[in-house]
Amino acid sequence: MFEKLDIVKPALKNLVSELRKKYAYASVLAVQDDSRAWRINRAGKRINNVGLGGGSGYVVRVFDEIGCAEYSFNEFSEEKIPEIVKAIDERVAHQTANILDGIKPLPTPIPSDEPATLKKVSGYAIDPRELGDEKILEKLDAIRNKTLSVDGILDAMVNVSYRKFRKLFISENRDLDQTVMWTNGAIVALALRGEEVKDAYKGFSQLGGAEILDRMEEFATEVANKAIELLSSEQMIPGEYDCICDPDTTGMIVHEAFGHGVEMDMFVKDRALAASFIDERVASDLVTMHDGNAVDDSATMWFDDEGTLTSDTVVINGGILKKGMCDALSAARLGVKPTGNGRRESYERKVYTRMTNTYFEGAAQNVTLDEMIASIKYGFLLESPSSGMEDPKNWGIQCMVTTAREIKDGKLTGKIFSPIVLTGYVPDLLKSVSMMSGQLVTCGSGYCGKGYKEWVKVSDGGPYMKARIRLG
Amino acid sequence: MIEKIKKILSECGINRWRINEVKEESAELFFVKHQLDTRRIKDTHKFVVTVVRESEKDGKKLSGSMGANIIASMTEQEIKAEIESAYYAAQFAMNPDYDAPEKETSECVCKKNELTEKPLAESAGKMAAAIFSADTSEHAYINSTEVFCHRYFKRVVSSNGTDVSFIDAVCKGDYVVQCKEPEDVELINQYQYDDVNVDAIKEGVKQYLDYAYDRARAQKTLKSGKYDVVICADNLAEIMTYYTEKSAADMIYPHYSSWNIGDDVQNDAKKDKVDLTLVATAPFSADGIRMKDLQIIKDGKLTAIHGSTPFCRYLGLKPTGNFSKTRCDNQGSESFEDMKKKPCLVAVTFSDFQTDAMSGHFGGEIRLAYLVEDGKITPVTGGSVNGNLIEAQQNVVFSTDRYVSAGYEGPYAAKFENVSVAGVE
Repeated sequence: MFEKLDIVKPALKNLVSELRKKYAYASVLAVQDDSRAWRINRAGKRINNVGLGGGSGYVVRVFDEIGCAEYSFNEFSEEKIPEIVKAIDERVAHQTANILDGIKPLPTPIPSDEPATLKKVSGYAIDPRELGDEKILEKLDAIRNKTLSVDGILDAMVNVSYRKFRKLFISENRDLDQTVMWTNGAIVALALRGEEVKDAYKGFSQLGGAEILDRMEEFATEVANKAIELLSSEQMIPGEYDCICDPDTTGMIVHEAFGHGVEMDMFVKDRALAASFIDERVASDLVTMHDGNAVDDSATMWFDDEGTLTSDTVVINGGILKKGMCDALSAARLGVKPTGNGRRESYERKVYTRMTNTYFEGAAQNVTLDEMIASIKYGFLLESPSSGMEDPKNWGIQCMVTTAREIKDGKLTGKIFSPIVLTGYVPDLLKSVSMMSGQLVTCGSGYCGKGYKEWVKVSDGGPYMKARIRLG
Repeated sequence: MIEKIKKILSECGINRWRINEVKEESAELFFVKHQLDTRRIKDTHKFVVTVVRESEKDGKKLSGSMGANIIASMTEQEIKAEIESAYYAAQFAMNPDYDAPEKETSECVCKKNELTEKPLAESAGKMAAAIFSADTSEHAYINSTEVFCHRYFKRVVSSNGTDVSFIDAVCKGDYVVQCKEPEDVELINQYQYDDVNVDAIKEGVKQYLDYAYDRARAQKTLKSGKYDVVICADNLAEIMTYYTEKSAADMIYPHYSSWNIGDDVQNDAKKDKVDLTLVATAPFSADGIRMKDLQIIKDGKLTAIHGSTPFCRYLGLKPTGNFSKTRCDNQGSESFEDMKKKPCLVAVTFSDFQTDAMSGHFGGEIRLAYLVEDGKITPVTGGSVNGNLIEAQQNVVFSTDRYVSAGYEGPYAAKFENVSVAGVE
């Protein structure tokens, strides 16, 4: 698979050389994608070729006297080099420069192009292509039937999808090559209450292949039972409560409430309150936050879409904000080192600073969930996050979870509230963190948007976490 | 290229198929304050070949389908391998068979406007200039903005003789407005137009600059309780997705929605009754159906079910194609100004306002709302709306003021009674 990139690689190098004759900087990112998704629900069986994919194509970046310009395309060969150079000269550099009457460029030093070479391939136990469509659908069918076997379930939707991609990054001094496979799965159980359809969801993700299917089967009954429980859910009485977040909810708070605010392209735009809190306390001393490749999940990679090698970025250390995540252009503008967080939705889109695998460390105090529950007079155990939205400028929280389990006098009462909106001020919530379990769990079954678009695969997570949170 | 693909399909013995060709061009500009951050263009040309494989089980006709991604530079051997792989996979995804949509043929339908005819970079520059020209507030300013101009050529060719094509274009993006005093706040707004629309973008920017100033002055004093909540503009459009999703064939066929034609889907509403029409924004759907406006709800009753070919066929209906714009035809019973004369909470921007068609739940965190209480209007921020449309739709009042965006046309605002709000006190 992906041999095509070996064939075109010499031509890509020639393209960069040709562009360097005119431009102070030139690079090309080439992507070849293999994606597929399988899904079964009451509407039928479906296979599609989109999967988690971003598509196959190329994006060239050059720097001229105005600044950064890019050209995305999906047809390339040695013969097309003059056509591509002409498109960049005439349509990107010249035409866009001419229409900007009176608008000045944002001063941007050319990002560093220090020499680097790399070739890496991620591992997996079972290649989905080798397992085959028939076997995958059989396994999904078994998981679905197990979910449906719980009384009262209206339907169960099960799916699995993968993206295997190879990316080459070529510049004058860099020659980077990575092949990575991410696989995701999900079980959704639906139950009916009058006109309302209540749904319970469990996502699965990994750096790896179709071995994820074995893990999914274990959760089929649990997801179905959760959907049934939701039928007796009540509406939350708004207020501030002692809460325990499950690892998925902790992950959503890490990602939405704090992570977006330390994406440093927001520092360039004066859109991030975090910029004025570096080396300041933003969380309780139990909180240490990472982003990067120190864990394996469906955002692990060895270089980003600007050819920066990835790393493990410690964002918060013992409650103190240490640094943000940064793409190469923002780093050049801010005079800091990029952290390998320059990511594109696909070769067709612009780079922004984006998270990868983002999480709170498990705490050394390593309390158990039972101990946390026992510590609460009245509060809730929050489970199953459904969505969230960032507010980097004002650190407002908007996160939604499906389930809040009532805790009274240190015990779960069995009463459930749904759906729940979490709101408040991020540092207030993070400074109120008073207990954390030891075990870190990440999940990357969702996508992350920048604002309302630019969807990329990320993972997030953490341990069970006790904090004071406003619920509505 | 289409002929090459057809020849390969024939050689592979595949007789049910559809080819979707999309040629796309874009010009994109990205700004920080009034300075140019990055500029981009894009040229892509893609083909998706959907192959359908037939089978039979227990006397019932079945079919399965799968798509193959093709680009023009692929060799015949590579194209054949992709198509064969898709055809092989299709045998494992068998579902009840359905008839293809009726044959359609047409000359290329080309929308004639500035966006389809002029260089896209020029249009993008014009939109950027319009955004900056509206940046005249003494309190708030444009923090950053993005402009995307896209032009598409789309062609649908299928084994039943359909061959249609059209040229379309869209201009979209967002702007972030910021106000530093008395509190440093921002708001983000997305826009989308089907042509260069200088006047509309200027008006939108000015409104959002005013909102940013109001958010900077807003009080964090909202108390928890039940309010008459007024939902506006694109957030009201989001609420309308409850009706468009519940009336979709792919929701009704698997029983996720129990709606039938003729049902009173608004549950004996006491106030305004919903009238909704799906608006055809492209001449043909992805499966080659000629698109036309479709009324789906009249006086709160379901009049039509909509959707793509398989699910409409399964329900015994004529396929309508998928729509991307909704028009609420209600003319409203109260002006927006009159709504604000009675106690209510007018929520104008949320961090992310969502509606879940399955449960009817709607809500989000309030970035800016106006609390109308004791004859006073106070800007407030923080807290969240948490409502359920299944109940809330029974007492809805639409404004007589209208609002138009790329995906919605209809009343600017709607008031829902007695909705739960979590405050910040």
